[in-house]
Amino acid sequence: MSGEILGIVLRRILIAIPLMLLVSLLVFVVLRLIPADPISMSVPPNATAEEIEALRREMGLHLPIVRQYFIWLGHVLGGDLGRSIAFGQPVTTLIAQSLPATIELAVFGALFATIIGIGGGLLMFALRGRASGQVADLGSTVMMSIPEFLWALFLILLFGVSLNLLPFAGRLPPDVTVPRATGFLLLDCLVSGNIKAFFQAIEFMLLPSLALALGTAPLIMRVLRSSLMDVIGEDYITMARLRGVPERRVIARHGLRNALLPTLSLMGVQFGFLFGGTLLVEVIYSYPGLGNMMVEAVRNTDLPIIQGAALVFALAVLVINLVVDVLYIVVNPVLRRAR
Amino acid sequence: MSGAGAASLAGASGWRRMARSGRVIAGASILLALIICALGAHWIAPFDPNEQDILNALKSPVWGLDSAEGHWLGTDNLGRDTLSRLIYGSRVALFVAFCAAIGTMIVGTILALVAGYFGGVVDWIISRLVDLWMSFPPVVLSLILIVGFGVGIGNVILAIVLVDWTRFCRVVRSEVLVIRRQTYIDAARLAGFSHWRTMLREVLPAALPLIITLMSLEMGIAVIVEAILSFVGMSVESDIPAWGVMISDARADMYQSSWGLILPISAIVVTVLAFNLLGDGLRRSFDARLQQH
Repeated sequence: MSGEILGIVLRRILIAIPLMLLVSLLVFVVLRLIPADPISMSVPPNATAEEIEALRREMGLHLPIVRQYFIWLGHVLGGDLGRSIAFGQPVTTLIAQSLPATIELAVFGALFATIIGIGGGLLMFALRGRASGQVADLGSTVMMSIPEFLWALFLILLFGVSLNLLPFAGRLPPDVTVPRATGFLLLDCLVSGNIKAFFQAIEFMLLPSLALALGTAPLIMRVLRSSLMDVIGEDYITMARLRGVPERRVIARHGLRNALLPTLSLMGVQFGFLFGGTLLVEVIYSYPGLGNMMVEAVRNTDLPIIQGAALVFALAVLVINLVVDVLYIVVNPVLRRAR
Repeated sequence: MSGAGAASLAGASGWRRMARSGRVIAGASILLALIICALGAHWIAPFDPNEQDILNALKSPVWGLDSAEGHWLGTDNLGRDTLSRLIYGSRVALFVAFCAAIGTMIVGTILALVAGYFGGVVDWIISRLVDLWMSFPPVVLSLILIVGFGVGIGNVILAIVLVDWTRFCRVVRSEVLVIRRQTYIDAARLAGFSHWRTMLREVLPAALPLIITLMSLEMGIAVIVEAILSFVGMSVESDIPAWGVMISDARADMYQSSWGLILPISAIVVTVLAFNLLGDGLRRSFDARLQQH
């Protein structure tokens, strides 16, 4: 059985490779459309024509664009994403510094989204056919109309500014520092034995991850509700009810288990979106992650960072989808046998 | 002909249901009000949206303690009238919404029709293209496209079309696959219709309810994407009032005046809600399966 799953995973990875190459081509070509000249951004204003020409050759900009792409791709595959124009540091170093923060945020966001999505879906299902169900239904439509970046601002206004309950800028209070070990702040807090800082860091993450979750959960809620509606008409549910199984247990043991499958496959797509959503949320919460770095780079036209960050975002979505697909196969015996 | 006939038959009851749907009525009413605001901004708005009045900066709305005469919804940090900026901002939002939705509809539907109708290699290529596009988070892709194209409202629309055609393509394609198997499509071919004529006259009308629904939802998404891009300063030129720009301006002063933030956020939410209610109502009206629930 596990060999079979391994085969499927390998096949998916094989499909992902050409996809990633195409993504890299797309990123390269689009950012070549840019009106600004990368040279003029990286030389001092008093540089001579010879200096500019020397740099142009050094950066390979005199070559045809196809060759430029393959040279760039060769570097990327070798782990070299170039140097940031604004910071002068290798892009891979900058990404390695900021990506763990984004992963932590996305994981927390996904966790909250799962709780709110499944809880809300069950609630909507329980209220079906009642007046309060109509209200919940409308409520979910309203929630679907609020993207994560508006939730982010709204939560700041409510919990940060008005109620003054939770912090909303950065990751830790300014006077707290934690020695860097793994790059993942929460782990670093534990490694250094600083439990107080650990809980402070979680406090700082509550609002941004809640904003991400609220932007993602409504669709999970609605899909779970409608797949529960589909499942509830099945014979095995009626049989379970006839056997005298309590309704709560019918839903939990038979309904939810089957209704979760379509919800799970949707969650894969949604968590991909959620990872993209970190971008704006990070900017709003001054959270030092990949998205914040990318938006900053967009403002500075720091091309190497934009390219590197875009590639990492695409790769992350591919990985998330792959993981969810594999999970889907693992929990769905029908699909597993069919392959 | 039978295709158009069957579609209009299913459509007719759909249209009737639609007219009775609370969601459609609510969504359409809000939209109508927004369209009136956008078209009549020049006459409705009490002030020029860029007119600065530094002495009356950061005033609260009339229900607040620190309100200023004539500025019903208060002013921003340069003393510009919030109500007027909100009204003018609806122009950008709706213009982008309509143009981007039409653009994504055209690109997505044509590719979906071709893919679903012809199948085979064409379908494979188009589907892989959709996969490729979907492996980018939409925000990231629209951001790099805007970096490539440069700012401006036309480029924002172009970026949204290039990001979101996949949503249309994927959904409409699976609908076309179903329609393609109907006997009236074979009948049309036997009657000597060309492929293009069959696609446009028989397949497209049957997919139309779905396409209209998707367009409505797409308009909501376009409003959000435009707001995101103008929030990070990558959308319209600085002298054009847009809701995202208002949010970004108001962030610095949220301790003194939170209304500057709440009002444009509400404007975006209400607009997107209107499109979603409309889309949701249309889907429910047209979708026979949902009717049974």
